[in-house]
Amino acid sequence: MFVVPLNRLVPDYIKKFEAYIPSKPDPELMKLYGCDRLYRLNNNENPLGPPPKAQEIIRCFPPPRAGLYPSGDSYYMRQRLAEAYGMDPDQFLFGNGANEVIAFVIKAFCQEGDNIVTTDKTFAVYEWVATFSGFEAKLVPLRDFGFDDQGMLDAIDERTKILFVCNPNNPTGTYWNEARLRNFLDAIAGRQIIVIDEAYCEFVEKDDYPDGMKLIGEYPNLVIFRTFSKMFGLAGLRIGYLVGNLEVVDVIRRTCVVYSVNTVAQDAALAAIDDVDHIYRTRELINTEKGYLKKELEGLKLEMQIGEGCFIMVKLPMSDTLAYRKFMTEGVMIRSMTGFRFPNWIRVSIGKHEAMEAFIAALKKILPA
Amino acid sequence: MKDRSTEVTLKISSDMQFLPLAMSFAEAAAKTFGLEKTDALKLTLACEETFAYICAISKEARPLVMEATNNLYYVQVQFLFNATSFDPRAFNLTAQVSPDDEKGLDEIGLIIASRSVERFQIFHGPEGIGLVLIKEKSYPPMLEIRSPESKPLKDFTIITPDPGTLKLLSGQIVRSYPERFYPQDFGLPGKLADMVASGEYGAAVAVGKEGGTGGGIIWRQLREKMVEVFGPYLFDQPSPSSMAERLINTVIEGLAKTDRLFLVIMHATPELPVGYFEPLGTIDVFRTDPSPMTITVYCRQLKEDPGSAVWAHPDLEDFLKKEYRRLYFARHIKPTVNAGEARPEHSVFAARFVKAQSAATLNAIWDGIDAPDNLEHHIRTLKDEGMMNIFFEIDLAYAWQANLTPVLLQKGFIPRVILPYAGDGDIVLFQYREGP
Repeated sequence: MFVVPLNRLVPDYIKKFEAYIPSKPDPELMKLYGCDRLYRLNNNENPLGPPPKAQEIIRCFPPPRAGLYPSGDSYYMRQRLAEAYGMDPDQFLFGNGANEVIAFVIKAFCQEGDNIVTTDKTFAVYEWVATFSGFEAKLVPLRDFGFDDQGMLDAIDERTKILFVCNPNNPTGTYWNEARLRNFLDAIAGRQIIVIDEAYCEFVEKDDYPDGMKLIGEYPNLVIFRTFSKMFGLAGLRIGYLVGNLEVVDVIRRTCVVYSVNTVAQDAALAAIDDVDHIYRTRELINTEKGYLKKELEGLKLEMQIGEGCFIMVKLPMSDTLAYRKFMTEGVMIRSMTGFRFPNWIRVSIGKHEAMEAFIAALKKILPA
Repeated sequence: MKDRSTEVTLKISSDMQFLPLAMSFAEAAAKTFGLEKTDALKLTLACEETFAYICAISKEARPLVMEATNNLYYVQVQFLFNATSFDPRAFNLTAQVSPDDEKGLDEIGLIIASRSVERFQIFHGPEGIGLVLIKEKSYPPMLEIRSPESKPLKDFTIITPDPGTLKLLSGQIVRSYPERFYPQDFGLPGKLADMVASGEYGAAVAVGKEGGTGGGIIWRQLREKMVEVFGPYLFDQPSPSSMAERLINTVIEGLAKTDRLFLVIMHATPELPVGYFEPLGTIDVFRTDPSPMTITVYCRQLKEDPGSAVWAHPDLEDFLKKEYRRLYFARHIKPTVNAGEARPEHSVFAARFVKAQSAATLNAIWDGIDAPDNLEHHIRTLKDEGMMNIFFEIDLAYAWQANLTPVLLQKGFIPRVILPYAGDGDIVLFQYREGP
């Protein structure tokens, strides 16, 4: 048998990189932790699931179509979105979840020695993809739980190619309003690519929250990410997209993996996108349950960070990784935040009321006396 | 923690004709890397003993690599070779050079080599067997504690200290804390500066607007996935203060996205903020005092625990169940016993010891029927060497290691602490209960 000379074959930046290990499937976790039900409140999924029409598509999917390749570039979805936003279909690129389009952008613009700029406490995948692709991720600390625009501008050097802003930010729920975003874009003046990740945009009801789609015409260096995993409840099907200026997207298309979005995902997303009622019902549930949690957590005198999005953050008087284990024994799965560089904080996805009650009951049980 | 070491390599074979070359290499490296003359000589002698020992146990001359590494505060020489042509028993600390030789009976090969150095380790990895000798540099003691008086700081920032600040930190720690709260090395300002400069240790300090240091924290990688934290140390700060929490957060946030799995603290100061660490268990530390000092081992996981399976001998099952329940670790316990299956005749135990702490830790490299006698010999040898704190680790990822439990219990060891994921699986740390 050959011994693979991994030390020689593996690049240094991969040797230093820590693989992300997703959690085990629910039945395995329930067996390990000895619980007979498990509320998953760790992935910010929509508790209502997909809109009814999308559910119907999934239910009625004809099995023989599984034997055929999907549309390689999500043709009908791009047509539909172009029509809705008054854009060219070629301004849209689809990926197997928005995670995949992050890689498209970084691969398209970065080469050896380049860097990206983002923050230290945000969705981790921008930093991961840059790092395991051999590029530096310059991390600007959050300021008051929000992206620090001036800090990001100061971090730019001649090798900076892309700046990633998560708006609203996961996990803090803070956002830049339109004036602030415009000021930032004006300061950049087109020198770098600006990615605004709007994964949670459909949850925001504030008047001053900017619609990135409307700014693309004015700012050709702007790229917007959107996903069907959150509001539209299609996380299990993996479908997300980016949109930007035609010339910019034409460059990104060169690194895009085609045929990576399956047929069910494309059909379900097409059926989901017009369901405005689903958005209203989801928002109502999220607002109601956030209100419930706020009241309960205030009663427990715990510090919290409640912003936009379908999640909240809570600071515990104990290690969040210990809290994770204790919650699991109670059949509640939260996200410990040490991995987001928020020691002793947890992030809780908003679920149906029964799940929220289970979370509060478990919290009361595990808190130190 | 950046690696700033430099190293030189010598590729030879396990043949006594290379002895002068091996000694010259060791001596030249020791001097070039900054050991004083006496220390360089001690390391050279230890290398001579080790090389001669390897030659003596070789059935034939085999390739051997000597690597000398400069780690600023110590020089390390490692002997690395493929174990296939050696009798594995030879790598027990207690192995004798030649059982037929009267002189050999009086001298236990590797022990002799280890006497001249501060740290000694035998390891077995995918690349072969390794023997590691570490000679630390000599540093002048702190003649007087000269560090500026600390003031309560209202506003402070956490920074990475420069060497000058580290030397002042050494004085502040010694002035403010009893010895049980820090390793002896921290009391040598130059050594502390070199330990951090070597990249093996990390440090952060809280400084005020005028540059005064109000507190500090130090850490080092203890195992592949484990980082040991020292402190937090606060100097004349009001109570309560957010400084301790900020210092701990600096360490955690710095390591959060690395492959480290958990932090441990064995010298917890009273300032350790509540709610950041979990008590794993206790160990007794024997020093020259008649009674041992019991210290609590604290831990903090850096990742969500995915749960795992462990092997357990029935004699350890109750301990494991109780501890896993207390600590909320999800573990599937798989029972194991020796059931008369064929086993190798001879066991091999690896040893590493740290003289300054009078501590030796054993672990099993190979299973063998002679494990009880082998363990007995190791205990006797280590006690003869003056080791007052003897530990044995078993890795619960391996059934054959779990099956050593009855031998350990019978020879006077008791299980003290579970270190989650410290090996390929959880490690149970046993302590020899008789002490010195």
